[in-house]
Amino acid sequence: MMQIKPILSALRRHKAGTVLIALQIALTLAIVCNALYIIHERLAHIAEPTGVDEPNLFAMANLWGEQYTKQQAAAKIEQDLITLRQLPSVADATPTNGYPLRGGGWDNFITMKPDQVDKTTDAAVYAGDEHFLRTFGLKLIAGRDFNADEVRDMGLREAVTPPVTIVSKTLADRLYPKGDALGKSFYSMSSTPITIIGIVDTLHRQDVSTWSAPYKGQSLIWPLRLAQPMGVFYVVRAKPGQLADAMREAPKALYAENRMRMFPAKDGLVDYRQIRQEAFERDRGMAILMGVICVVLLAITAAGIIGLTSFWVGQRRRQIGVRRALGATHRDILHYFLTENLLISVGGVAIGTVLAFALNLWLKQNFALESLPLIYVLSGMVILILLGQGAVFAPALRASRVPPIEATRPA
Amino acid sequence: MLKMTHLSKVYRTEVVETYALRDFNIDVKEGEFVAVTGPSGSGKTTFLTIAGLLETFTGGEYHLDGIEVSQLNDNARSKIRNEKIGFIFQAFNLIPDLNVFDNVEVPLRYRGMKAPERKERIMGALDRVGLASRAKHYPAELSGGQQQRVAIARALAGSPRLLLADEPTGNLDTQMARGVLELLEEIHREGATIVMVTHDPELAARAQRNVHIIDGQVVDLAEDPRFHTAYTAAAGQIRS
Repeated sequence: MMQIKPILSALRRHKAGTVLIALQIALTLAIVCNALYIIHERLAHIAEPTGVDEPNLFAMANLWGEQYTKQQAAAKIEQDLITLRQLPSVADATPTNGYPLRGGGWDNFITMKPDQVDKTTDAAVYAGDEHFLRTFGLKLIAGRDFNADEVRDMGLREAVTPPVTIVSKTLADRLYPKGDALGKSFYSMSSTPITIIGIVDTLHRQDVSTWSAPYKGQSLIWPLRLAQPMGVFYVVRAKPGQLADAMREAPKALYAENRMRMFPAKDGLVDYRQIRQEAFERDRGMAILMGVICVVLLAITAAGIIGLTSFWVGQRRRQIGVRRALGATHRDILHYFLTENLLISVGGVAIGTVLAFALNLWLKQNFALESLPLIYVLSGMVILILLGQGAVFAPALRASRVPPIEATRPA
Repeated sequence: MLKMTHLSKVYRTEVVETYALRDFNIDVKEGEFVAVTGPSGSGKTTFLTIAGLLETFTGGEYHLDGIEVSQLNDNARSKIRNEKIGFIFQAFNLIPDLNVFDNVEVPLRYRGMKAPERKERIMGALDRVGLASRAKHYPAELSGGQQQRVAIARALAGSPRLLLADEPTGNLDTQMARGVLELLEEIHREGATIVMVTHDPELAARAQRNVHIIDGQVVDLAEDPRFHTAYTAAAGQIRS
């Protein structure tokens, strides 16, 4: 540290190289901080719990091959469920309109009064029977499950508002922040009050899009069976360790029951590994892209530092020899270049910190990114300073090996 | 102060061995002003670089201020260079990125000296060479003679036991050279030990003692008929 003043003095005489490297460090810091934060957000999104028993679940998109009436469809569904639940590898099954992370689904406005114009909030809506909670493996933390006699069939273009519902804890707390939601009511696009009879711990929404981020985790379950002419989703819970067997046996059994159906290639039969894979494909892609950008930028910055320092070492070879002749040890020369780089890096990260927050502000305004936490900037500063010290080490070591006799060589 | 006994320096390549110094003997007493002369390639500069611990030697012994230096490691050699030796180079060897003050400060920083003492010594040395008013100037803003005076100030600031000068006036015009030489003589009169390598007989004649090197060995000019007449004539002319 004792060499700071003369090093600063020398750097002032090499403004172009110094400013270029400092700016490169600054830009890298600004981009890397924000990129790391985007990566963190995406990974956190990917890792969000669904609340369901993912390892043992799979979904079947069952499309009917014939036009059924509501009653016929209800009967077919009832028969299919009996068939599925009888399979030795199956623990339970439920008919539904969708499942967490499916990528889109039913979504309703929620109000607290029947005549309320503006919504209080928004919730993902799941339709299921009395087997829904057990099939998905949801954790009921208050109240009760549906009774079989509460489940209604809903045909095409019917507007059925069941009087009871089970909601996710997130939705319950949103509607009743004091934690007393059980037994209370709300409204959803009708004047019929809906009473909360049960609360489950976590139930992820069907979609993973950014528009629904403010309503994250807000889900409700209605005791409804979609008896519709097009088809229905069956979600099946396999017995532990028998997922593959269940996925193989279930379509066979259903085809044996009734061949007038099909399971589409895309999501006809998917387990949660595939569901997650598809749901977070873009998030994963963005995280990888940001990671690659970070690595490339850091590599370019390191290369810039190595290049400039190597050039300076070559340019100052005689000067280093003079310093050695005047008493500098190997370590003194090494410290000189490390300190020089540290000073440039500190200048770079100081500018970079301002740029990082400015870039974050722009991203917030244009791409709905959250405020950049200080820890990311601090981490970026540490990474870049360590990168600088690492990058400069090899040329600095070369400089420290310049012999004192170099002072006597012709310029 | 400086004693070399049967010292040799050999440069080896895959095919040839070249003796830069061979059976080299010299003894410089404390307070002496010795001029080392000789033709180009005779080994003068090699002698000076070994004397200044800028490079190692191949054989023999070298005692500097009572210390046998052949077994010293690099750090110890750096410490001796820093504390006991002051260098004055032909090309001045000032650091162009540093101003005069910072240039003179370089060896003092490596000594770990505190800032107030450094400042006192630097200003004292610059005052001594008449350049205190140029402390904030950069080398490129000074004349050759002034740059060499800065180099002398840098050598003096550390109060070395031995001053080694390699052609100190080689890059200067006559007037500037005279000024630098007078400064060296003044420093010598104050008790410094100076060893100066030069090929200039006029300069050599101003020293207290001359040592002549030919083919890597010290020779006695008085006993060598090839040089005796011409050299003594030149020296006499200069002294008169």
